[in-house]
Amino acid sequence: MNEESTAQEQPMLEAAALTKRYEDGVLAVDNVSFTVMPGQIFAMLGGNGAGKTTTINLFLNFLEPTTGETRINGVVTHREPLKAKQHIAFVSENVMLYPNFTAIQNLDFFARLGGRTEYSKTDYRDVLLRVGLAEDVHHKRLKGFSKGMRQKCGIAIAMLKNAPAILLDEPTAGLDPQAGYDFIKLLGALRDEGKAILMSTHDIFRAREIADIIAIMNRGRLIMQRNAAELAGEDLEQLYLQYMAGSNSSPENNQPGAGPCSKQ
Amino acid sequence: MVATLIGKELKAIVQSPKFIGTFAVCAVLMFLSVYVGIREYQASVRQFETAGRLTEQRMQQQSNWFSVTSRTHRAPNPLQIFVSGLSYDIGRFSEISAEEGVKLRHSVYADDPIFAVFRFIDFAFIVQLVLSLFAILFTYDAVCGEREGGTLRLVLANAVPRAHYIFAKCAGAWLGLVVPMCVPIILSVLLVVVFNVPLDGGQWAKLLTLIGGSLLFFTFFIVAGVFISTLTRRPTVSFLLALMVWITFVLVIPRAGVLAAGQLVTVPSVAEIEGRRDGFAKAEWAKFYEQMAERWHDRNAAAEPDSTQEMDDEQMWNRMEEEQRARKEVEQTIDDFESKLAADLRRSREAQERLGLSLGRFSPAAAYQLATMSLAGTGIELKSRYEDAFNAYRERFKQFVEKKQAEDGMAGGIMITVSSEGGFNIQSSREGPGLDFSELPRYESPRTTYAAALVPAVIDFGLLAFYTILAFAGAFYRFIRYDVR
Amino acid sequence: MLKTIIEKEIRDIIGSTKFAVTFGVCAVLILLSFFAGANNYQVSRARYEAAKTENLRQFAGLTDWFSVRQHRIFLPPQPLGTLVTGISNDIGRTTEITGRGELTPDDSRFNEDPLFAVFRFLDLDFLFGVVLSLLAILFGFDAISGEKERGTLRLVLANAVPRGTYVLGRLCGSFIALAAPLVATVVLGCLLLPVFGIALTGGEWLRLGLVLLAGLLYFGVFLTVAVFVSAVTHRSSSSFLVLLVVWILAVMIVPRAAVLLAGRAVEVPAVDELDAQKAAFGTQLWREHREKLSSFKPTQNDDMQGLMDEFNRFMNDLADERDNKMQEFAGRLNEDRQNRQQVQRTLAFSLARISPAAQLSLAVSSLAGTSLELKEHYLQEATAYQAKYAQFMKEKTGINTGGGMMVVQVRDEGDEEPEPIDLGELPVFEFRPVGFARSLGAAIVDLGLLALGNLVFFAAAFVAFGRYDVR
Repeated sequence: MNEESTAQEQPMLEAAALTKRYEDGVLAVDNVSFTVMPGQIFAMLGGNGAGKTTTINLFLNFLEPTTGETRINGVVTHREPLKAKQHIAFVSENVMLYPNFTAIQNLDFFARLGGRTEYSKTDYRDVLLRVGLAEDVHHKRLKGFSKGMRQKCGIAIAMLKNAPAILLDEPTAGLDPQAGYDFIKLLGALRDEGKAILMSTHDIFRAREIADIIAIMNRGRLIMQRNAAELAGEDLEQLYLQYMAGSNSSPENNQPGAGPCSKQ
Repeated sequence: MVATLIGKELKAIVQSPKFIGTFAVCAVLMFLSVYVGIREYQASVRQFETAGRLTEQRMQQQSNWFSVTSRTHRAPNPLQIFVSGLSYDIGRFSEISAEEGVKLRHSVYADDPIFAVFRFIDFAFIVQLVLSLFAILFTYDAVCGEREGGTLRLVLANAVPRAHYIFAKCAGAWLGLVVPMCVPIILSVLLVVVFNVPLDGGQWAKLLTLIGGSLLFFTFFIVAGVFISTLTRRPTVSFLLALMVWITFVLVIPRAGVLAAGQLVTVPSVAEIEGRRDGFAKAEWAKFYEQMAERWHDRNAAAEPDSTQEMDDEQMWNRMEEEQRARKEVEQTIDDFESKLAADLRRSREAQERLGLSLGRFSPAAAYQLATMSLAGTGIELKSRYEDAFNAYRERFKQFVEKKQAEDGMAGGIMITVSSEGGFNIQSSREGPGLDFSELPRYESPRTTYAAALVPAVIDFGLLAFYTILAFAGAFYRFIRYDVR
Repeated sequence: MLKTIIEKEIRDIIGSTKFAVTFGVCAVLILLSFFAGANNYQVSRARYEAAKTENLRQFAGLTDWFSVRQHRIFLPPQPLGTLVTGISNDIGRTTEITGRGELTPDDSRFNEDPLFAVFRFLDLDFLFGVVLSLLAILFGFDAISGEKERGTLRLVLANAVPRGTYVLGRLCGSFIALAAPLVATVVLGCLLLPVFGIALTGGEWLRLGLVLLAGLLYFGVFLTVAVFVSAVTHRSSSSFLVLLVVWILAVMIVPRAAVLLAGRAVEVPAVDELDAQKAAFGTQLWREHREKLSSFKPTQNDDMQGLMDEFNRFMNDLADERDNKMQEFAGRLNEDRQNRQQVQRTLAFSLARISPAAQLSLAVSSLAGTSLELKEHYLQEATAYQAKYAQFMKEKTGINTGGGMMVVQVRDEGDEEPEPIDLGELPVFEFRPVGFARSLGAAIVDLGLLALGNLVFFAAAFVAFGRYDVR
C-alpha cells in the first residue's frame, strides 16, 4: 500500500482489523490490518505463538475471526470461503502430503482439487523439475521423501493451482541452505508473475532477501510493518530483537490480551 | 470434485501396505469358512439320510402297532453353510410316538461337545468379527489422521465444501473396501455351485439378501469408523475409541442384553415342566387303574361264573381292546395337559427372548446376526418351527397308528392273565398279518418362503441402515465443525 | 537401572488416557461378568431346585414303590461353572433313571433356551481370552517400534543401558502396570461373590485362584508376543497390524479350525447309527424273550400275591439278562466311539494348543470343572446313582423295576388303605464335581504351555531387540 505503482490496484490479500480470541480466552490475533498487492511478497516475522499461523488459518477460514475480516481478492473469507479459496494456494509448514502416493499422484490429486483438470503428466513433470525435484523420484512414494523434497512437492502443488495469491506457513523451516536458496529464487519468480504472496517465517535473512514488506508480530499484534526500501541499510536482526524486547517490556502487554480487550 | 476426492480415497486404501495383508486374511478366512461349512453340511446330509433309513428299519422291526414309534430328524439346511446359527445347539431329532410329546433331543454339541469347546466359524462370524475390525482399521484415522498429517489443511485450502469432503471420505472408503471384498464373497458363493449344494430359488434369494445385509453391516462399521475419526484429533485416541466401540457392539451388548433378559424374565425349566407333567400323568393313570379294576370287577360279576374258561381268548382280547381305548383317552388327556404346559412355557420363553433380543439390538452386530439367522432359518425360531412341524406330523402319525391298531387289533401283543381259577396264563400273540407301512404319512420338513424369512430380517436390516445413517449424520455434523488446524 | 525403567514404564502407562479408558472398560466388564455369573447361578439354582421338587412331587401320595418306575436326576449348576461356562451349557443335564439301561442326559441349556445360545455368555474365559489379549496388544504393540518412532529409544540407549535390561524393564513395567489393576478388579469381583449370594468352598477358591493365574499367564504371553513383534518391526502401525492378524488367528481361527480339522480327519460314528444298532439288538433280544415267556411255569397257583411275585421275578431275571447283554453290546459300541472320540480330541486339542487362547480355554475349563470331562463325569456319576437306585428298588420291591415288564396288582376296594411311601428314603443324587487333583492334572499341561509361551516369547523379544536397528 506504500508502493505507488500498486496503489491503484485492488489488494489481493487483505486483513482488516482482524482479531481472534480462542474459546479459552487466549487472544491470538489482535486488531491486525495489512494488505498484500499482486506482485508483492509480504513476510510476517515473529516468535512461536506470535499469531502468524493463526492469521494464515483465518485467511483459509480454518478459524472464524472474532472481529474484523480477511479478504482474498475482495472476497470476505468467512462469508464465502469456497469462493475465496479459489484464489489462493497454500503451502503448509512441514508439508506431509499422502505418504502412500507418489509425487505425481499427490500433484494430480491436489491439482484437481484446485479445479485444474487440464494438466497432463508432462506438466507435472515440468513443475516438479522447476521446483528442483529430480525426475527419478517423481514416481516414488512420498513416505521415503526428506523434508525438503516434500516441501518442494508442496510448492509444486501451489504452483499448479496457479492462483493469484499464495499463502506460505514457515516454508523454509528445515530446508538445507541450497534448498532454501532455490526456494527463494522460485518465490521471486512467482512474484514476477504477479502473485501476491503472504508468508510467515522465522528466517529473518531470507525474509529480508526477498520480501517487499516485512512485518513483525508479537503476542497477536502487528508491531512493525515496513517495506523493503524503508529497511534498506537497517540491521533487521537488531531491529527485530529491539521490537521484541520493546513490546515485552511494555507494561500494557505484560498481560497478554489485557490491552486489546478494552478495544472490543 | 467429489469424484476426485473419492478417487483419492480409493487409491489411498488400495495402495496402503496394510490393504493387501488384511484383504488376504479376510479373503482366505471367508473362503475357508464357506468350504468348511460345505463339508460340514454334506456330512450332516449324509448323517440325516442314514438316520432316516435307520428309523424306517427300526419301525419295520416292530411286531405290533402298539410299539411302533418313529423319529423325525431336522433336515440340514444348506444356508447353514453361511450362517450356522443355532443349528448345532438345538436337538437334531424328536421321537414321534402316541405316548410322548415332541421334544427335540441330541444337539450336535451335546453329542459331540468337542465342537462346542471353540464353536464354529462361518461366513456370518467372519463378517461380524473380522470384517468389522477390518473396516475400523481402515477408517479410524480418516479425518484425524489427515489432520495430524497436515493434508487436511492442504485439501481444505482449496474450494472444497466440507460436506463433499466427508461424503467422499465415506464413499471412497466404501468403494475401496466393499468392492474388493465382493470378490472373495462371490468366489465363496461359487464354491457352493462347484460343490453342487442344492439351493432352490428362494434360498438363492435369501443368500443374496444375506450377502447384501453383510455389506450393509460392513458399511456401518466403515461409516462408524469415519464418525469416530471426527470425534478426536489424534488417530491413536480414535483407534482406541473405535476398538472400545467394537468390543462393546460386537462382544458386550448382545451378551449383556441376553443376560439381562435372563434375569428379568424367569422361565421355568423343561425339567420342571416335565416333572409337573409326570405328576399329572401319574395321577391320571392312578385314576385309570382304579376305574379299570372296577370295570373288571363289574365284568367278572356280570359274566357267568362257570363259563370263565369258555369266554377267554377271543373275549379276553376284546376286553383288552376296550381297555386300550380307555387308555387312549387318558393318553389324550395327558397329551392336552402337556400341550398346555408347553404352550405356557413357550409363551414365557418368547417374552424372555423378545426382551433379550430387543436389548441386544442396540448393537448393530446383534442386529446383523439376528437378521442373518432369520434369513438362513437358523435363528431362535428354528426350535419352535421344528417343534410345530414335528407336532403336526405326530398328529398324523398318531392317527395312522391308531387306525392300524384298530384294524389289526391286538395282533402281535402279549396277554397275561392271572386268575385264581386259571392260574397264570401267558399268550404271546394273536395271529395277525405283518405290519404294513405303505400308508405311513410322510414327514415334510418345514419350509420358510423367502418373504416369510425376510420379514423379521427387514426389521434388523432397517435398524442397521438406521444406525449407518445415524453414524453418517454424526460424522457429517462433527466434520462441519471440525477444527482442521 | 532396571528399577528406573520399570518405574518409568509404570508411570507412563498409568498416566495415559489409553490406560484410563481401557482399564475402565475392562474393570466394568470383569465386574459385570462376576455379577452376571452370580445372577445366572442363582437363576439356574432356583430352576434346578424347582425341577427337583417337581420330580419328587409327582410321587406324592404313591403307596407303592412299584409305581415309582422312573424318575429324573439333574446336573446341578456349579458356581464356578457360571464364571467359566465351558461346555456346561451344551451337554444334557436331565437324566431319566429307571434302574436299567443306558443313560442319555438330555435338555442342554442351549437346546432348552436357545436365546442364550445366540450370543453365548459373558464369562471369565471369554473376557480373558478376547478382551485381555487385546489389551495386552494395545499396550505392547509400540513398546519398541513406537519408542523408535518418537525418538526416545535413541535417547534412552544413548545412556549405558544394556538392551536386555531395557526390554526386561519394559516388559516387567507393562506387566505390573496392567496386571496389578486387573488382578485387583478380579479379586474385587471374587470378594463380591458372597455379596451376590454365592458361597465358594475352599477348594473352589483355590480353583478360582488358579483360573486367575492362567489368565495372568495368558496375558503375559500376549504381552511378550506384542513386545517381540514390536522388536522385529520398525513402524508401530505395522507391528499393530501384524499383532491384530496374530490375534484374530490365535483367538478366533486356530482353535476352531483345529477342531474342525480333527473332526474331518478322525471319523467318529454318528450317535444315530449306534442308536439304531442298539435298538435293533434290543428288539432282537426282546423277540427271543417273548418266546421264553410261555415257558414260565409257576410253582404254585394258590397264592395270588406269591404268583405275581414269582412272575415279576421271572420277568426281572429276563430283563436283567437282556440288560446284561445289552450293556455288553452297547459297551462295545460306545467304547469304539469313545476311543475314536479320544483320538479326535487329542488331535484337535494338540492342534488347537498352538494358540494360547486355546491353552487358556482348556486350562480354565478344566479348573472350573466344565471341560469336556464334565460330560463323561456326569454320566459316570449318574450311572453310579442308577446302580444305587436299582439296589434300593430291589430292597423295596424285590425286583429292579426299570425297563422290564411286570405285573402290578391294583388294590381292591376291600383292602386296607396302605401307607404312602416315604420319599425321603429314595436315594438322593449328589453330584460330586471332578476332583481337584484330576482337574489340576488336566490343566497343568496348558498352564505349563502358557508359562513356556511367556519364556519363549520373552527370549525372542530379547534376541530381536538385541539386533534391533535403533536409528
